[in-house]
Amino acid sequence: MKCFVCLLWSLLASFCFAESPVLPLANEPAEQNQSSPLPPPRSNLEKTLDEAEKKLKSSIEGDRLAAAKLLGKYPNARGTYLLLVGLDDDSALVRRASIVSLIEHFDSGQPMYDRALTEKIFSKVGDPDVEVRREVSALIPRLSIGLMRSGVERTVVNGRMVFRSVPANLREDLFKLAVDALLDVDSIVRQNMLKYYSNLRLPIFPETLSALLSDKDTGVLLVALDKVRLHPQDDTVFEKVEQLASHREIGIRTKVVSVARQLGHAHPLYRGVLRKMMMDDSIEIAAQAAVEVARFGEKLPDEVVAKIEAFLLQSHGLSGKVESIFYGLSSLGEDGNRIYKSLTSHASGKLRSQAWQRYLSLTEGWNAPHVWLPALSDRDVDVRSAILVTLRGRLPELGEPEIRTLIDSRYPDVRAFGAESLLSAQPDTVENTFFDLLIDEDNLVRATTLRVLAKLKTQGWEKIHQQSLLDQEYAIQRAAMDGLLINRQEGIAILRDYLSKNSSTKIAQAIRIELQRMRVPLP
Amino acid sequence: MRLVRFILPLLSCAWVFPNSFGQSEQGEISSIRIMQLRRDGNLRIRYPDALPSLLAFMNEHARVKFDQDPLFIQSLTDERLFENPILYINCDELPNFDFSMEENDALRQYLELGGFLYLDAGIKASFLGTDLGHSYAAWEERPEVGEWFSQVFPEKPFIPLARNHEIFRTFYKGLPTNEDLQLEKEQKRLPETVLTFVEQEKWPQGTYSLVGIKVNGRLACLASPICAMGWGRDEFGSWIPPISFRIRESADNFDETLKLASFAGNTFEVTREDGLQDEIFVMPGQRPLWVREPTGRWRIFKYYSGEEISNYAHSFYARLGTNIFLYALLN
Repeated sequence: MKCFVCLLWSLLASFCFAESPVLPLANEPAEQNQSSPLPPPRSNLEKTLDEAEKKLKSSIEGDRLAAAKLLGKYPNARGTYLLLVGLDDDSALVRRASIVSLIEHFDSGQPMYDRALTEKIFSKVGDPDVEVRREVSALIPRLSIGLMRSGVERTVVNGRMVFRSVPANLREDLFKLAVDALLDVDSIVRQNMLKYYSNLRLPIFPETLSALLSDKDTGVLLVALDKVRLHPQDDTVFEKVEQLASHREIGIRTKVVSVARQLGHAHPLYRGVLRKMMMDDSIEIAAQAAVEVARFGEKLPDEVVAKIEAFLLQSHGLSGKVESIFYGLSSLGEDGNRIYKSLTSHASGKLRSQAWQRYLSLTEGWNAPHVWLPALSDRDVDVRSAILVTLRGRLPELGEPEIRTLIDSRYPDVRAFGAESLLSAQPDTVENTFFDLLIDEDNLVRATTLRVLAKLKTQGWEKIHQQSLLDQEYAIQRAAMDGLLINRQEGIAILRDYLSKNSSTKIAQAIRIELQRMRVPLP
Repeated sequence: MRLVRFILPLLSCAWVFPNSFGQSEQGEISSIRIMQLRRDGNLRIRYPDALPSLLAFMNEHARVKFDQDPLFIQSLTDERLFENPILYINCDELPNFDFSMEENDALRQYLELGGFLYLDAGIKASFLGTDLGHSYAAWEERPEVGEWFSQVFPEKPFIPLARNHEIFRTFYKGLPTNEDLQLEKEQKRLPETVLTFVEQEKWPQGTYSLVGIKVNGRLACLASPICAMGWGRDEFGSWIPPISFRIRESADNFDETLKLASFAGNTFEVTREDGLQDEIFVMPGQRPLWVREPTGRWRIFKYYSGEEISNYAHSFYARLGTNIFLYALLN
């Protein structure tokens, strides 16, 4: 019997705990499908650098290359100094990888201002591999901080401590390398050296400059032209600039125009270059040169003015070179005004709007409605608003025909301007035209007209404003309220009357606030 | 190609969409105006020279007649939307992707009527974070764009464009040549490692990662990683701003080395052309360090800069931009 009870208990126990989760013991490994993925085992920074250092000394080129590439990802002092070892490697591939990795250190903000370190890197501007030279020459602005650092050196002379200043000059051997690199066989290196010569305080002699002005590479030529200001009066240099004025590349000729413009003020010789370039085959270059000559106060021949006009009319929009020629037109006097006028029918909206603004301003065109009235039918809203901005506040008194033209326009901004213009019109004109504006389909036009009528106190204005308070558009109600508030004597009674009959409208709320502010008793 | 060169000057004299998009009100033969959506407010304008420069570039090289002044609209409900066939949006310039129901309706109608929308920076890999200047060839639209278009065309997802899509050959074909870069014949274009990667992987045959939506059987909306950074020129015709290259490089035993090398950052997954995912390793405050590719290969990212590299990149982006806009015009 006792055995039977024990068996029963054990059966019951097995039923009770069958659905319970089986918890693993603390030291028992979990099943594969229940675990989260473990992060890959990674070494620490020191071990990674140790490994890279070891590989950098390997006899296998591939290992040295891998180490040089990897070190770029660790911008710290040890990584930088390891990469300097790579710069002297026999393999060009390792040297390239080392310099690219050093650049990564620069990019990551690793401070590299130590003079010895920067001198070591810069010495590679004489490397046999062109890619290394390109990278080093492009680095000059960054290297120059360390390279050109002055300091103090301490020496012992006859047992006595002597301090001497070390000037901020390039080391002698590096100076020679840099001067040679100005005429490197690779154009990118030449270009970089010329671009950054001042960072290294290198002298550019007239002979070197004229050699660079004869370069085959257009990139080098562009940079060399920037440096003409160093020796503008040197005969050889000037001769080269004259030759470049007829270079086959339009970009180079454009640059010559720019250089001649800058130098023309102090060195009249360069104005001659510009005069010759007025006859350039490219209408664009000819126009640029002509405008610059005009800026010096010289009168342009008619054929040249015609070229400028043709160039601007052919252009696609107001940008870059076109813009500088466009604004230079004002130096041409009457001819310039005439060109501005013809540009008012250009296809580009931006050019049209600028042309109208310049033309109206230079000729005081606002005094001649027959000039600007047709312009207000332009399809481009930006053009119309540019013209309206120029006209606003400057118009003389307008007659009825002009006002009629404005209010018959298809554009609401022009009709609203017509309403504004009533302010300076004769009372008869106002009487004859305001009704058309009051029934305009556009809110802005109607609101503007209401405000004008309130200012002019045209006959019957109070009635119009009283009626307009009942308009469905809030903008119109608001304009009517403002008009009545300006003229308190007549307006207050009308507003109080409106409030007594319409107390719950949106405009009634605004009227109530305004009347309270004026301490007018409310109905 | 020859046919395209012949057709373009003809097309430039007339609107390409005579039924859907109206002529100018004065009825004159006008240039084609590209619209750009630019919201009102205190925005950071990115690459302001880009679009006008590209339009000038196309006028010069493709003999089309684009108006070099883009028409800026602030809202998609602007009535001028329906007067012009191409709308350009730089997604990095948008303060947010909140478009009202009316705007979405207008956009849907615009695309259905034959309009074309180009979403520059409509692709943006997640690891780029707030560094908006980088272009990375991921193969899916950025999440905000996907969410926006789920309201415009709920039934149409963005589909990656195949490398053999005609958009890549509309006008230019292949990668920039020495002639494009105005280099001498013997002049070396790019460092060897860079050139090999660019030709074989980065931009094979002048292609790039693009995704798009077709409406009525026509590619109507296109998204790309930011391309505008490659279009700008200054007044002397020099490219701005400088661009550097991100190149994947390998070396002996990198698979083993990079698995173990010290790393204390985050990883991001980016969709590749084949639909698989690259795992990008990024350390805080630094540019991406290396990548584990789905093939099991590990490669390191190296960055190359310089005049020749920048010119090459600009030339590529300008050619790609030309192909995109001319494709939009022709289709």
